[in-house]
Amino acid sequence: MQPQTTGGQEVGTTARGSGGAVGGKVDKLRSEFAGDPDMAELVEAFVSEMPQRVEGLRRAWESQALDDLRRLAHQLKGASGGYGYPALGQAAAGVETTLNKMASGGQATMASLRQEFDALVSLCGRVAA
Amino acid sequence: MTSDPNKPIVLLIDDSPDVHRLIRVRLRHEPIEVVSANGGAEGLATAKQIKPATILLDLDMPGMDGFEVLRALKRDPELANTPVIVLSGMSEADDKVTAFDLGAADYVTKSFEKPSDLAELRARLRASLRVERLLRLLAERAELDGLTGLGNRVQFNRRWSQEVAGNQRYGKALSLALFDIDHFKRINDTYGHPAGDAVLMEFAKQLFASCRQTDVACRLGGEEFALIMTETALEGAAQVADRVRQGLMATRWPRHPEHVVTVSAGVIGATTGANGATPELWFEAADKALYAAKHGGRNRVVTGAAENLAPAVKA
Repeated sequence: MQPQTTGGQEVGTTARGSGGAVGGKVDKLRSEFAGDPDMAELVEAFVSEMPQRVEGLRRAWESQALDDLRRLAHQLKGASGGYGYPALGQAAAGVETTLNKMASGGQATMASLRQEFDALVSLCGRVAA
Repeated sequence: MTSDPNKPIVLLIDDSPDVHRLIRVRLRHEPIEVVSANGGAEGLATAKQIKPATILLDLDMPGMDGFEVLRALKRDPELANTPVIVLSGMSEADDKVTAFDLGAADYVTKSFEKPSDLAELRARLRASLRVERLLRLLAERAELDGLTGLGNRVQFNRRWSQEVAGNQRYGKALSLALFDIDHFKRINDTYGHPAGDAVLMEFAKQLFASCRQTDVACRLGGEEFALIMTETALEGAAQVADRVRQGLMATRWPRHPEHVVTVSAGVIGATTGANGATPELWFEAADKALYAAKHGGRNRVVTGAAENLAPAVKA
Protein backbone atom coordinates (compact mmCIF):
# COMPACT_ATOMS: atom_id res chain seq x y z
CA MET A 1 0.00 0.00 0.00
CA GLN A 2 1.36 3.38 -0.92
CA PRO A 3 1.17 6.11 1.66
CA GLN A 4 -1.05 9.08 0.91
CA THR A 5 0.70 12.36 0.47
CA THR A 6 -0.15 15.20 2.77
CA GLY A 7 -0.78 18.74 1.69
CA GLY A 8 -4.31 18.80 0.34
CA GLN A 9 -4.14 16.57 -2.74
CA GLU A 10 -5.14 12.99 -2.10
CA VAL A 11 -3.16 10.75 -4.43
CA GLY A 12 -4.83 7.57 -5.57
CA THR A 13 -3.87 4.53 -3.56
CA THR A 14 -3.94 1.21 -5.28
CA ALA A 15 -4.35 -2.04 -3.42
CA ARG A 16 -2.19 -4.57 -5.21
CA GLY A 17 -2.51 -8.23 -4.33
CA SER A 18 -5.26 -8.75 -1.75
CA GLY A 19 -5.39 -5.27 -0.31
CA GLY A 20 -8.28 -4.81 2.06
CA ALA A 21 -9.18 -3.54 5.46
CA VAL A 22 -6.92 -1.19 7.35
CA GLY A 23 -7.75 -0.80 11.02
CA GLY A 24 -11.23 -2.27 10.45
CA LYS A 25 -12.30 0.31 7.86
CA VAL A 26 -12.47 -0.67 4.13
CA ASP A 27 -10.37 1.59 1.89
CA LYS A 28 -11.69 2.97 -1.34
CA LEU A 29 -10.00 1.77 -4.51
CA ARG A 30 -9.14 4.87 -6.46
CA SER A 31 -8.19 5.31 -10.06
CA GLU A 32 -4.57 5.84 -10.94
CA PHE A 33 -5.80 8.59 -13.21
CA ALA A 34 -7.49 10.42 -10.35
CA GLY A 35 -5.60 13.63 -11.06
CA ASP A 36 -5.98 13.49 -14.84
CA PRO A 37 -8.55 16.02 -16.13
CA ASP A 38 -8.89 14.21 -19.46
CA MET A 39 -9.99 11.06 -17.69
CA ALA A 40 -12.25 12.52 -14.98
CA GLU A 41 -15.47 12.08 -16.93
CA LEU A 42 -14.60 8.55 -17.99
CA VAL A 43 -13.58 7.40 -14.53
CA GLU A 44 -16.79 8.79 -13.10
CA ALA A 45 -18.78 6.94 -15.74
CA PHE A 46 -16.96 3.71 -14.91
CA VAL A 47 -17.61 4.12 -11.20
CA SER A 48 -21.28 4.93 -11.67
CA GLU A 49 -21.74 1.93 -13.97
CA MET A 50 -20.07 -0.41 -11.51
CA PRO A 51 -23.29 -1.44 -9.72
CA GLN A 52 -24.69 -2.64 -13.07
CA ARG A 53 -21.56 -4.66 -13.75
CA VAL A 54 -21.74 -6.24 -10.31
CA GLU A 55 -25.40 -7.00 -10.89
CA GLY A 56 -24.50 -8.73 -14.11
CA LEU A 57 -21.76 -10.74 -12.41
CA ARG A 58 -24.07 -11.82 -9.59
CA ARG A 59 -26.84 -12.81 -11.98
CA ALA A 60 -24.45 -14.95 -14.01
CA TRP A 61 -23.12 -16.55 -10.84
CA GLU A 62 -26.54 -17.29 -9.36
CA SER A 63 -27.86 -18.88 -12.51
CA GLN A 64 -24.54 -20.70 -12.99
CA ALA A 65 -24.19 -19.17 -16.47
CA LEU A 66 -20.45 -19.71 -16.52
CA ASP A 67 -19.98 -18.64 -20.14
CA ASP A 68 -21.66 -15.32 -19.37
CA LEU A 69 -19.53 -14.99 -16.26
CA ARG A 70 -16.37 -15.57 -18.27
CA ARG A 71 -17.35 -12.99 -20.86
CA LEU A 72 -18.13 -10.40 -18.18
CA ALA A 73 -14.89 -11.11 -16.35
CA HIS A 74 -13.00 -10.85 -19.62
CA GLN A 75 -14.54 -7.49 -20.45
CA LEU A 76 -13.86 -6.17 -16.98
CA LYS A 77 -10.29 -7.40 -17.16
CA GLY A 78 -9.78 -5.52 -20.41
CA ALA A 79 -11.42 -2.32 -19.27
CA SER A 80 -10.07 -1.94 -15.74
CA GLY A 81 -6.50 -1.09 -16.69
CA GLY A 82 -7.63 1.65 -19.01
CA TYR A 83 -9.66 3.33 -16.29
CA GLY A 84 -6.78 3.09 -13.83
CA TYR A 85 -7.72 0.08 -11.71
CA PRO A 86 -5.06 -2.54 -12.38
CA ALA A 87 -5.91 -4.45 -9.18
CA LEU A 88 -9.45 -4.86 -10.43
CA GLY A 89 -8.14 -6.11 -13.74
CA GLN A 90 -6.06 -8.70 -11.98
CA ALA A 91 -9.03 -9.90 -9.92
CA ALA A 92 -11.12 -10.20 -13.06
CA ALA A 93 -8.28 -12.06 -14.76
CA GLY A 94 -8.27 -14.47 -11.83
CA VAL A 95 -11.91 -15.32 -12.37
CA GLU A 96 -11.44 -15.70 -16.12
CA THR A 97 -8.38 -17.92 -15.75
CA THR A 98 -10.12 -20.19 -13.24
CA LEU A 99 -13.12 -20.52 -15.53
CA ASN A 100 -10.84 -21.34 -18.45
CA LYS A 101 -9.12 -24.02 -16.40
CA MET A 102 -12.45 -25.55 -15.47
CA ALA A 103 -13.60 -25.51 -19.07
CA SER A 104 -10.47 -27.23 -20.32
CA GLY A 105 -10.53 -29.86 -17.61
CA GLY A 106 -7.63 -28.41 -15.70
CA GLN A 107 -7.02 -28.11 -12.00
CA ALA A 108 -9.73 -25.86 -10.66
CA THR A 109 -12.62 -26.31 -8.24
CA MET A 110 -15.86 -24.49 -7.69
CA ALA A 111 -14.51 -23.53 -4.30
CA SER A 112 -11.52 -21.73 -5.81
CA LEU A 113 -13.81 -20.07 -8.35
CA ARG A 114 -16.04 -18.91 -5.52
CA GLN A 115 -13.04 -17.36 -3.82
CA GLU A 116 -11.95 -15.50 -6.92
CA PHE A 117 -15.50 -14.39 -7.57
CA ASP A 118 -15.98 -13.06 -4.05
CA ALA A 119 -12.66 -11.23 -4.19
CA LEU A 120 -13.65 -9.61 -7.47
CA VAL A 121 -17.06 -8.50 -6.26
CA SER A 122 -15.55 -7.15 -3.07
CA LEU A 123 -13.03 -5.12 -5.02
CA CYS A 124 -15.75 -3.82 -7.29
CA GLY A 125 -17.56 -2.53 -4.25
CA ARG A 126 -14.55 -0.47 -3.23
CA VAL A 127 -14.11 1.25 -6.57
CA ALA A 128 -14.27 5.02 -6.38
CA ALA A 129 -13.16 7.90 -8.54
CA MET B 1 -17.21 10.26 -47.17
CA THR B 2 -13.45 10.04 -47.51
CA SER B 3 -10.72 11.30 -45.25
CA ASP B 4 -10.25 15.05 -45.20
CA PRO B 5 -6.47 15.35 -45.45
CA ASN B 6 -6.41 17.75 -42.52
CA LYS B 7 -8.52 15.59 -40.27
CA PRO B 8 -7.99 12.01 -41.37
CA ILE B 9 -10.46 9.37 -40.29
CA VAL B 10 -9.29 6.62 -37.97
CA LEU B 11 -11.64 3.65 -37.82
CA LEU B 12 -11.69 1.79 -34.50
CA ILE B 13 -13.01 -1.76 -34.69
CA ASP B 14 -13.61 -3.27 -31.26
CA ASP B 15 -16.43 -5.10 -29.51
CA SER B 16 -15.93 -3.40 -26.15
CA PRO B 17 -17.71 -0.11 -25.46
CA ASP B 18 -15.07 0.58 -22.82
CA VAL B 19 -12.24 0.42 -25.34
CA HIS B 20 -14.10 2.78 -27.65
CA ARG B 21 -14.62 5.26 -24.85
CA LEU B 22 -11.07 5.02 -23.59
CA ILE B 23 -9.40 5.34 -26.94
CA ARG B 24 -11.58 8.24 -28.01
CA VAL B 25 -10.73 10.16 -24.88
CA ARG B 26 -7.04 9.36 -25.15
CA LEU B 27 -6.92 10.47 -28.77
CA ARG B 28 -9.11 13.50 -28.38
CA HIS B 29 -6.25 15.94 -28.78
CA GLU B 30 -5.01 14.37 -31.99
CA PRO B 31 -6.00 16.04 -35.29
CA ILE B 32 -8.12 13.08 -36.32
CA GLU B 33 -11.71 11.95 -36.41
CA VAL B 34 -12.38 8.62 -34.72
CA VAL B 35 -15.18 6.48 -36.12
CA SER B 36 -16.31 3.54 -34.01
CA ALA B 37 -17.46 0.18 -35.29
CA ASN B 38 -18.76 -2.50 -32.97
CA GLY B 39 -17.27 -5.82 -33.99
CA GLY B 40 -15.78 -7.29 -37.15
CA ALA B 41 -18.71 -7.38 -39.53
CA GLU B 42 -19.70 -3.80 -38.81
CA GLY B 43 -16.05 -2.83 -39.05
CA LEU B 44 -15.67 -4.20 -42.56
CA ALA B 45 -18.87 -2.58 -43.77
CA THR B 46 -17.89 0.77 -42.27
CA ALA B 47 -14.37 0.59 -43.72
CA LYS B 48 -15.74 0.07 -47.21
CA GLN B 49 -18.02 3.00 -46.79
CA ILE B 50 -15.70 5.62 -45.29
CA LYS B 51 -12.25 4.57 -46.59
CA PRO B 52 -10.35 5.52 -43.42
CA ALA B 53 -6.73 6.66 -43.38
CA THR B 54 -5.87 4.05 -40.74
CA ILE B 55 -7.70 1.20 -39.02
CA LEU B 56 -7.29 0.26 -35.34
CA LEU B 57 -8.35 -3.35 -35.10
CA ASP B 58 -9.00 -5.40 -31.98
CA LEU B 59 -7.85 -8.99 -32.31
CA ASP B 60 -9.87 -10.41 -29.49
CA MET B 61 -13.50 -10.23 -30.65
CA PRO B 62 -16.29 -12.80 -30.54
CA GLY B 63 -17.90 -13.82 -33.82
CA MET B 64 -15.61 -12.52 -36.52
CA ASP B 65 -12.25 -12.23 -34.78
CA GLY B 66 -9.52 -9.77 -35.63
CA PHE B 67 -7.55 -12.15 -37.83
CA GLU B 68 -10.58 -12.84 -39.98
CA VAL B 69 -11.22 -9.14 -40.36
CA LEU B 70 -7.59 -8.56 -41.27
CA ARG B 71 -7.74 -11.24 -43.95
CA ALA B 72 -10.92 -9.78 -45.36
CA LEU B 73 -9.42 -6.29 -45.44
CA LYS B 74 -6.33 -7.48 -47.33
CA ARG B 75 -8.45 -9.37 -49.85
CA ASP B 76 -10.42 -6.24 -50.74
CA PRO B 77 -8.49 -4.23 -53.34
CA GLU B 78 -10.03 -0.97 -52.14
CA LEU B 79 -8.93 -1.54 -48.56
CA ALA B 80 -5.82 -3.68 -48.90
CA ASN B 81 -3.46 -0.74 -48.65
CA THR B 82 -5.11 0.93 -45.68
CA PRO B 83 -2.66 0.58 -42.78
CA VAL B 84 -3.99 -1.59 -39.95
CA ILE B 85 -2.74 -1.25 -36.39
CA VAL B 86 -3.71 -4.29 -34.42
CA LEU B 87 -4.79 -3.91 -30.78
CA SER B 88 -4.44 -6.77 -28.40
CA GLY B 89 -5.24 -7.28 -24.74
CA MET B 90 -2.66 -10.02 -24.56
CA SER B 91 0.78 -9.62 -26.01
CA GLU B 92 1.32 -13.16 -27.24
CA ALA B 93 4.26 -13.50 -29.56
CA ASP B 94 2.36 -15.93 -31.79
CA ASP B 95 -0.43 -13.44 -32.27
CA LYS B 96 2.06 -10.77 -33.28
CA VAL B 97 3.67 -13.01 -35.86
CA THR B 98 0.31 -13.98 -37.32
CA ALA B 99 -0.87 -10.40 -37.44
CA PHE B 100 2.28 -9.23 -39.21
CA ASP B 101 2.21 -12.16 -41.62
CA LEU B 102 -1.33 -11.24 -42.54
CA GLY B 103 -0.19 -7.72 -43.32
CA ALA B 104 -0.81 -5.67 -40.19
CA ALA B 105 1.32 -2.54 -40.15
CA ASP B 106 1.75 -2.39 -36.41
CA TYR B 107 0.79 -3.95 -33.08
CA VAL B 108 -0.14 -2.23 -29.82
CA THR B 109 -1.33 -3.63 -26.50
CA LYS B 110 -4.54 -2.03 -25.37
CA SER B 111 -4.39 -2.48 -21.64
CA PHE B 112 -3.28 1.13 -21.34
CA GLU B 113 -2.11 0.59 -17.83
CA LYS B 114 1.18 2.34 -18.27
CA PRO B 115 1.52 5.89 -19.65
CA SER B 116 3.94 4.41 -22.17
CA ASP B 117 1.15 2.25 -23.63
CA LEU B 118 -0.76 5.34 -24.58
CA ALA B 119 2.27 7.23 -25.76
CA GLU B 120 3.05 4.24 -27.94
CA LEU B 121 -0.43 4.12 -29.44
CA ARG B 122 -0.29 7.81 -30.27
CA ALA B 123 3.19 7.61 -31.77
CA ARG B 124 2.38 4.60 -33.90
CA LEU B 125 -0.88 6.14 -35.04
CA ARG B 126 0.88 9.33 -36.04
CA ALA B 127 3.49 7.39 -37.96
CA SER B 128 0.82 5.46 -39.80
CA LEU B 129 -1.10 8.59 -40.72
CA ARG B 130 2.06 10.28 -41.90
CA VAL B 131 2.85 7.40 -44.23
CA GLU B 132 -0.66 7.42 -45.60
CA ARG B 133 -0.50 11.15 -46.25
CA LEU B 134 2.84 10.90 -48.01
CA LEU B 135 1.66 8.08 -50.23
CA ARG B 136 -1.33 10.14 -51.23
CA LEU B 137 0.89 13.10 -52.07
CA LEU B 138 3.17 10.88 -54.11
CA ALA B 139 0.24 9.58 -56.07
CA GLU B 140 -1.28 12.97 -56.69
CA ARG B 141 1.64 15.36 -57.04
CA ALA B 142 4.50 13.16 -58.15
CA GLU B 143 2.41 10.71 -60.14
CA LEU B 144 4.23 7.87 -58.46
CA ASP B 145 3.08 4.52 -57.20
CA GLY B 146 3.92 4.39 -53.50
CA LEU B 147 4.70 0.70 -53.34
CA THR B 148 6.97 0.28 -56.35
CA GLY B 149 8.25 3.78 -57.10
CA LEU B 150 7.20 3.44 -60.74
CA GLY B 151 4.94 5.95 -62.41
CA ASN B 152 1.26 5.51 -61.64
CA ARG B 153 -1.73 5.49 -63.98
CA VAL B 154 -1.91 9.26 -64.03
CA GLN B 155 1.63 9.46 -65.27
CA PHE B 156 1.01 6.70 -67.78
CA ASN B 157 -2.00 8.43 -69.29
CA ARG B 158 -0.16 11.69 -69.66
CA ARG B 159 3.01 10.20 -71.15
CA TRP B 160 1.20 7.76 -73.40
CA SER B 161 -0.82 10.55 -75.01
CA GLN B 162 2.39 12.50 -75.59
CA GLU B 163 4.17 9.58 -77.20
CA VAL B 164 1.30 8.62 -79.45
CA ALA B 165 1.06 12.24 -80.58
CA GLY B 166 4.77 12.12 -81.34
CA ASN B 167 4.34 8.95 -83.31
CA GLN B 168 1.46 10.44 -85.29
CA ARG B 169 3.16 13.74 -86.03
CA TYR B 170 6.75 12.68 -86.63
CA GLY B 171 6.39 9.02 -87.50
CA LYS B 172 8.67 7.97 -84.64
CA ALA B 173 8.69 4.28 -83.82
CA LEU B 174 6.74 3.46 -80.66
CA SER B 175 5.70 0.35 -78.75
CA LEU B 176 3.48 -0.36 -75.77
CA ALA B 177 3.79 -3.46 -73.59
CA LEU B 178 1.18 -4.35 -70.97
CA PHE B 179 2.16 -6.86 -68.28
CA ASP B 180 -0.08 -8.70 -65.84
CA ILE B 181 1.35 -11.00 -63.20
CA ASP B 182 -0.14 -14.48 -63.48
CA HIS B 183 -2.34 -15.85 -60.68
CA PHE B 184 -1.47 -12.91 -58.46
CA LYS B 185 -4.54 -13.31 -56.30
CA ARG B 186 -3.43 -16.82 -55.53
CA ILE B 187 -0.08 -15.56 -54.23
CA ASN B 188 -1.80 -13.14 -51.87
CA ASP B 189 -4.27 -15.74 -50.68
CA THR B 190 -1.69 -18.47 -50.18
CA TYR B 191 1.31 -16.57 -48.86
CA GLY B 192 -0.24 -13.39 -47.51
CA HIS B 193 -0.38 -9.79 -48.51
CA PRO B 194 3.27 -8.99 -47.67
CA ALA B 195 4.37 -11.76 -50.04
CA GLY B 196 2.23 -10.25 -52.78
CA ASP B 197 3.79 -6.86 -52.18
CA ALA B 198 7.25 -8.39 -52.40
CA VAL B 199 6.42 -9.86 -55.81
CA LEU B 200 5.14 -6.51 -57.07
CA MET B 201 8.21 -4.66 -55.84
CA GLU B 202 10.61 -7.16 -57.35
CA PHE B 203 8.82 -7.21 -60.70
CA ALA B 204 8.84 -3.42 -60.78
CA LYS B 205 12.58 -3.44 -60.13
CA GLN B 206 13.16 -5.90 -62.95
CA LEU B 207 10.91 -3.98 -65.31
CA PHE B 208 12.67 -0.74 -64.55
CA ALA B 209 16.08 -2.35 -65.02
CA SER B 210 15.08 -3.64 -68.42
CA CYS B 211 14.09 -0.31 -69.89
CA ARG B 212 16.02 2.66 -71.16
CA GLN B 213 16.11 6.25 -69.96
CA THR B 214 13.56 7.36 -72.49
CA ASP B 215 11.12 4.57 -71.71
CA VAL B 216 8.31 4.90 -69.17
CA ALA B 217 7.58 2.07 -66.74
CA CYS B 218 4.32 2.33 -64.81
CA ARG B 219 2.21 0.37 -62.43
CA LEU B 220 -1.36 0.79 -63.65
CA GLY B 221 -2.90 -0.78 -60.58
CA GLY B 222 -3.08 -4.10 -58.78
CA GLU B 223 -0.82 -6.47 -60.66
CA GLU B 224 -0.92 -4.63 -63.98
CA PHE B 225 2.08 -2.80 -65.42
CA ALA B 226 2.83 -0.86 -68.59
CA LEU B 227 6.06 -0.13 -70.46
CA ILE B 228 6.14 2.62 -73.06
CA MET B 229 9.12 2.04 -75.32
CA THR B 230 9.94 5.15 -77.30
CA GLU B 231 11.68 4.93 -80.62
CA THR B 232 11.34 1.19 -80.49
CA ALA B 233 9.61 -0.88 -83.14
CA LEU B 234 7.61 -4.01 -82.45
CA GLU B 235 10.42 -6.52 -82.88
CA GLY B 236 12.71 -4.83 -80.38
CA ALA B 237 9.86 -4.28 -77.97
CA ALA B 238 8.83 -7.92 -78.13
CA GLN B 239 12.38 -8.92 -77.24
CA VAL B 240 12.41 -6.62 -74.22
CA ALA B 241 9.06 -7.96 -73.06
CA ASP B 242 10.21 -11.53 -73.40
CA ARG B 243 13.41 -10.84 -71.47
CA VAL B 244 11.29 -9.42 -68.66
CA ARG B 245 9.09 -12.49 -68.79
CA GLN B 246 12.07 -14.83 -68.59
CA GLY B 247 13.64 -12.84 -65.78
CA LEU B 248 10.59 -13.10 -63.60
CA MET B 249 10.20 -16.80 -64.23
CA ALA B 250 13.79 -17.37 -63.19
CA THR B 251 13.37 -15.44 -59.94
CA ARG B 252 13.59 -17.41 -56.74
CA TRP B 253 11.40 -16.11 -53.92
CA PRO B 254 12.65 -16.42 -50.30
CA ARG B 255 9.12 -16.59 -48.92
CA HIS B 256 7.98 -19.30 -51.29
CA PRO B 257 10.98 -20.85 -53.01
CA GLU B 258 8.92 -23.68 -54.46
CA HIS B 259 6.44 -21.31 -56.13
CA VAL B 260 7.47 -19.75 -59.43
CA VAL B 261 5.84 -16.48 -60.46
CA THR B 262 5.20 -15.73 -64.12
CA VAL B 263 3.85 -12.83 -66.13
CA SER B 264 1.84 -12.49 -69.31
CA ALA B 265 2.31 -9.62 -71.76
CA GLY B 266 0.75 -8.00 -74.79
CA VAL B 267 2.87 -5.80 -77.04
CA ILE B 268 1.68 -3.52 -79.82
CA GLY B 269 4.29 -1.58 -81.74
CA ALA B 270 4.74 0.58 -84.82
CA THR B 271 7.81 1.23 -86.92
CA THR B 272 6.53 4.54 -88.21
CA GLY B 273 3.36 6.55 -87.73
CA ALA B 274 0.55 4.12 -86.88
CA ASN B 275 -2.33 4.70 -89.22
CA GLY B 276 -4.77 7.05 -87.47
CA ALA B 277 -4.27 5.40 -84.12
CA THR B 278 -5.35 7.07 -80.89
CA PRO B 279 -3.87 6.40 -77.46
CA GLU B 280 -7.05 4.55 -76.56
CA LEU B 281 -7.18 2.34 -79.64
CA TRP B 282 -3.51 1.46 -79.22
CA PHE B 283 -3.98 0.67 -75.53
CA GLU B 284 -7.02 -1.43 -76.31
CA ALA B 285 -5.04 -3.42 -78.85
CA ALA B 286 -2.29 -4.06 -76.31
CA ASP B 287 -4.92 -5.10 -73.80
CA LYS B 288 -6.41 -7.54 -76.30
CA ALA B 289 -2.96 -8.99 -76.91
CA LEU B 290 -2.49 -9.37 -73.15
CA TYR B 291 -5.84 -11.12 -72.94
CA ALA B 292 -4.75 -13.49 -75.68
CA ALA B 293 -1.56 -14.22 -73.74
CA LYS B 294 -3.57 -15.07 -70.62
CA HIS B 295 -5.98 -17.27 -72.42
CA GLY B 296 -3.30 -18.87 -74.51
CA GLY B 297 -1.72 -20.38 -71.42
CA ARG B 298 -0.06 -17.48 -69.59
CA ASN B 299 3.69 -16.89 -69.14
CA ARG B 300 3.98 -15.65 -72.71
CA VAL B 301 4.13 -12.55 -74.86
CA VAL B 302 1.60 -11.89 -77.62
CA THR B 303 2.42 -9.20 -80.15
CA GLY B 304 0.62 -7.18 -82.80
CA ALA B 305 1.40 -4.39 -85.20
CA ALA B 306 -0.02 -0.93 -84.60
CA GLU B 307 -0.30 -0.47 -88.33
CA ASN B 308 -3.34 -2.73 -88.18
CA LEU B 309 -5.14 -0.71 -85.60
CA ALA B 310 -7.39 1.98 -86.90
CA PRO B 311 -10.37 1.31 -89.12
CA ALA B 312 -9.68 2.40 -92.71
CA VAL B 313 -10.04 6.12 -93.11
CA LYS B 314 -11.26 7.51 -96.35
CA ALA B 315 -8.51 9.45 -98.06
